Amino acid sequence: MNNFNANCEDIKIAMMALIDGELSEDDKIKVNVHLEKCPSCAKEFESFQSLKQETETMKLAKLPDEYWDDYWERVYNQLERGFGWILFSIGAVIVISFAIYESLKEFFYNPEVSLPLKIGIAFLAFGSVVLFVSVFREKWMVRKVDKYRSVQR
Amino acid sequence: MTDNEAIIACLNGDRNSYKWIVEKYKYRAYNSALIFTGNREDALDLSQEAFIRAYRALQRFDQKRSFFTWYYQILKNLCINYLHSRRRRHHFSIDDPDHQYLSPVENSSMSPDEALEKMERNKLIWNAINNLDESDREIILMKEFQDFSYKDIAETLDIPIGTVMSRLYYARKKLVKRLGIINE
Repeated sequence: MNNFNANCEDIKIAMMALIDGELSEDDKIKVNVHLEKCPSCAKEFESFQSLKQETETMKLAKLPDEYWDDYWERVYNQLERGFGWILFSIGAVIVISFAIYESLKEFFYNPEVSLPLKIGIAFLAFGSVVLFVSVFREKWMVRKVDKYRSVQR
Repeated sequence: MTDNEAIIACLNGDRNSYKWIVEKYKYRAYNSALIFTGNREDALDLSQEAFIRAYRALQRFDQKRSFFTWYYQILKNLCINYLHSRRRRHHFSIDDPDHQYLSPVENSSMSPDEALEKMERNKLIWNAINNLDESDREIILMKEFQDFSYKDIAETLDIPIGTVMSRLYYARKKLVKRLGIINE
């Protein structure tokens, strides 16, 4: 921090940087000079300093090492599987759509059926396949991470 | 190796460089997720998921920024969506026997009684932090428990460094006042 005036309002804000060790040497002098002659700011500074000393000794508990052993492997496997899932999804959509096309071939080649209806059915079938593959994938993912799947309702 | 060198290598397909990044930041990532979710398993899963999303979005990473502050935003959104989907707002309490997240006090110069007293004091401080407004709580936790510099906080919250200091000042002022009340 720099370019602040030595009035109480600015000093109070600059105190934060002093406590957190983010103040330049010049600004440290400026703040300390003010604190020496302003009892109100000095008192407030002491309370912030006490708070900082207390929070500094508070640390989040570390996880046991076994939690960390396969951390990267799990990230890596998901990255690999992500690419696999993309290929799987595209492949599944192509194969299922082709199967539906084959089973409805007569319908699509029937000259008595109007073109808009053929297009509508084709969109409906293709959309259903995409939705099916997407929902299947989502259910599979949820099943894999759901810790409560074995709980009887 | 620097973060940017590792990221450039990742963009060229070197996954070992991404391993280096994950190993470097995994503890901070987990702690950040733990603060959002209050659950160890969720924190591990979500911090890993955020690394996966960050990798897939690496092309969009602005190398002038710090990797962790960018990653933190992905993680934060992921945690918020996760909590929203579970319809819960979790400020975990240190008094909950299942949520013993603060380290026990380890100071050889303290007697057992002093250590116990310090632990109780830590619980009071922790609960006072959790009872702050969301914006005050967030900035205190980023500074005190997630090892963010002012520059990191400014970048993450998209605010000037002066605002970081003034927000810290008002958040700490409330904390000092509340802890003073608790002490009376």
